[in-house]
Amino acid sequence: MKVLPCKALLLLVSISINGIAMAGDAGQARDWLERMTAAMSQMSYQGTFVYVRDDAVETMRITHVTDDTGVRERLYSVSGPHREVIRDRNGVRCVLQDSASVVEDQVVASSYFPELPLSIIDGDTSGYRLETGGEARIAGHTARRVTISPEDNFRYGYDFWLEEQTGLLLKWVLFDTDHKPLAKLMFTDFAIGSAVNMRELESDSRAEDFVEMKTFSIQKTVVTRSSPRWQPAKLPPGFQLTSHSHETGTDGVYEHMVYSDGLAAVSVYVEQQGIEAFVKPGMNQLGTNNAYSRQQGNLQITVIGEVPVITVKAIADEIALSVASN
Amino acid sequence: MVSENRYPAQVVEEMSKESLEHLSSLMDGELSSEAGLFLTRRLFSDDEMCETWERYHLIRDCIRQPGSKQMVTGLSTKLRASLAAEEVPTVSAWRNNRWLKPVSGLAIAASVALVAIVVSAPQPGHSPGDSETALTTPANQPFVSPNTLARSPASQAVSYSPAQQANSNRLNAYLLRHNQMARTAGRQGFVSFVPIVATPTTAVAENPESKPESNESGSALETAENK
Repeated sequence: MKVLPCKALLLLVSISINGIAMAGDAGQARDWLERMTAAMSQMSYQGTFVYVRDDAVETMRITHVTDDTGVRERLYSVSGPHREVIRDRNGVRCVLQDSASVVEDQVVASSYFPELPLSIIDGDTSGYRLETGGEARIAGHTARRVTISPEDNFRYGYDFWLEEQTGLLLKWVLFDTDHKPLAKLMFTDFAIGSAVNMRELESDSRAEDFVEMKTFSIQKTVVTRSSPRWQPAKLPPGFQLTSHSHETGTDGVYEHMVYSDGLAAVSVYVEQQGIEAFVKPGMNQLGTNNAYSRQQGNLQITVIGEVPVITVKAIADEIALSVASN
Repeated sequence: MVSENRYPAQVVEEMSKESLEHLSSLMDGELSSEAGLFLTRRLFSDDEMCETWERYHLIRDCIRQPGSKQMVTGLSTKLRASLAAEEVPTVSAWRNNRWLKPVSGLAIAASVALVAIVVSAPQPGHSPGDSETALTTPANQPFVSPNTLARSPASQAVSYSPAQQANSNRLNAYLLRHNQMARTAGRQGFVSFVPIVATPTTAVAENPESKPESNESGSALETAENK
């Protein structure tokens, strides 16, 4: 008779200790993620990494510089056709040699909606589970692992291997709910601060060598705090509106909404069909990003994000003209 | 010896770390054809580089196939013999005709270089970055990758139909804007832009996922709500 209460007490103590440890682990993971977020945007770094997805292995090079002039970044492929993305205070420029085209986007204003804090992916209803653990040596640096596991099928999970001193990302793994890897990225060499070769920021691609892609109506868009006219009647758990912009000055329809769960993000584009090329209806893939597009009358609705197919399709199917706009 | 003012400045610069890396890339067959031609030219005019080229092959051959050291010996002589009667273009000609196809003489030179590359082609299981590449890239120095974009023909590798290209560019434009607006995507820094650099857009089947929750999107959301 006296044994049972002792066992129960031990069990209770064990559960409590375990719970405290897990909570502490999640908090530690969140601290590491906050360090990563700050380091990735505020530090200068450069390196070569290998990107693996499906059967494809590609080598790329990144140079990210933060100084008095702001952030400048150049990402380009070392193997295969030359493709590069250049980011600076003027916007984003994407040069694609294999299609001999350039896609550009201007700098966009900040959203009026508050930025979602990392703390929201640390709760019971967040759809994620955070933990830390593991140490490895990557590109000559000691790295710590932070794992964010999905708890439903609406989002992916991540392994972040972060440089011990700075929190910079050295290895990245994207995986599904079954923990099956979908893509991996790992640096093979990595330089920080003054070791960064600034010359690599400069692209020698010339605009006249490529066909410039006019990026449809987004040139005239404004960011707004108003509610979208078109929005999904339902959203996957944890997702909420974080940005809304629309076109001005024309009679056409253009709305862009971003929904996020604090980590993953999904964009919804609602556009009036015109003479411009539109995305092929149905499912499309852009690397690890899924996009689903459908037509509704003379509108095209496209949902895109690094989330499972089910998520982009679910949101696209729920898009309707809101009652307030009728 | 060809005078310096008849070559692009890049070709006549001192034999630098980048040049050595170009040389290593040429050995691995990873250099673009235009850059390969420039380097072939320099092999002809630069004794030091030519010796380095031979030395690299010798080292690699000794590592892989002991006893095959004669494979590329005398390459400099062969290069000179092939290029002796050839007229060298001027700097301005090169700059003004960056996208033109190589003239026949250069093609011959390239073919000589190609023979050397084929003879010393990497064996299965061997990847760039070990043995010979390590010789040109000290472990404590970051690897500096050559940017070959400006030397690659603009007409190269256009494999999309106009419709596919428009679809792909449209999705790229969507993703560029998405990554700018989705501040949570910015938490991963450049990683959000990697799919644009990495993989051309491909259309997939209507229902590529067959998990229970993905049968019907509407019911999936309802199921999630009821949990």
